[in-house]
Amino acid sequence: MKTFEERTTAWIDGQLTGAELAAFEKELEAQPEAALDRAGARQLGDLLRTHGTAPPLANADFFNLQIQQRIAAGTPPQPRAEVGQSGGFLWSLPRLLWAGAASLVVAGVLYVALVPAAQPFIEPSNYFAQVVEAWPSDPSISATTVYNPQDNLTVLWIDGMDYMPSEQLALQ
Amino acid sequence: MTSSEEMPHEGTEAAGPPADELALVARAQTGDTAAFDELVTRYRQRAFSMIYHMVRNEQDAWDLAQDGFLKAWKNIGRFRGQSSFYTWLYRILMNVGIDWLRKKQIASGTEFDDQIGLHNIAPGAMTVPRSELEPAGRISDQEIRTRIDAAIERLSPEHRAVIILREIDGLEYSEIAEQMECSIGTVMSRLFYARKKLQAMLKDVYENI
Repeated sequence: MKTFEERTTAWIDGQLTGAELAAFEKELEAQPEAALDRAGARQLGDLLRTHGTAPPLANADFFNLQIQQRIAAGTPPQPRAEVGQSGGFLWSLPRLLWAGAASLVVAGVLYVALVPAAQPFIEPSNYFAQVVEAWPSDPSISATTVYNPQDNLTVLWIDGMDYMPSEQLALQ
Repeated sequence: MTSSEEMPHEGTEAAGPPADELALVARAQTGDTAAFDELVTRYRQRAFSMIYHMVRNEQDAWDLAQDGFLKAWKNIGRFRGQSSFYTWLYRILMNVGIDWLRKKQIASGTEFDDQIGLHNIAPGAMTVPRSELEPAGRISDQEIRTRIDAAIERLSPEHRAVIILREIDGLEYSEIAEQMECSIGTVMSRLFYARKKLQAMLKDVYENI
């Protein structure tokens, strides 16, 4: 079953015949403007054929020459709409180099900005702490130092005290 | 795959292509550029006109017609001689034109509204949107061309193609359907709406000449 649009087009172009034509024209009896519409469509066709023609091809020989040159080049230019959007391998090589250099710079900046600085390496001290003199109030209290070379850490070990008041923690 | 990348299948023509044309194509298929140049010379004006009707601009039509010939050259090995060379070339050109119009449409961000005004204008209505024409004066040829160009430019690529293939190139529905790879019903429907829109825009022109 043809749609109304299809039958109208066929009717305008004179391609409806027989029963189909009769049925469609009966259908159009309720639309008196349809005849005007068909006349308009035919006038439009005449207008396009008489005034819509293309101008002659200018510089026709040059047209051929350019085609021959493009054939000889082997790699015809991309369609006009795509020019500037992409390029060939040779064109992209310098871009790749610049992109590579720029990537290195960006990676360096990100490393400095985002990666936390490593703990500075501290040489183990050649000195060691030693308790030279102590004046404990209780003879059972003694003070010694313990040095841990793996952690480069010296611990003051006071034995015999239950606790040490914080105001007396200062060492000389 | 875009339409421009599709190589046309050949239709069948009762008469078949002329023998000398087949000979030229056969030579071109072996890489004979002089033979292809002869084919270009034969069909350059028709190719240019066909593309011009679609893009309405001489420089673009020149470039796109060349693109069409280049595409034909690159794919000439697929031509089997079951249709005329121009029938085969024609579809390549049409795809080049439609593809370009679509890209232009995307690049400009514009949309072709094929329904504009159709529902507001009764078929055959005596009042349609008028433009700058002087009603009393006879319209100059240049002005008519300008009006036609402007009106066609407002059609979508598909509607533009169908109106050109039918009204200017005089193809049958079946030929248009084959060229555009769609059904005959689609062709007729597109033709209906393309005519409606052009009638609305050009009624004052064709009624004043």
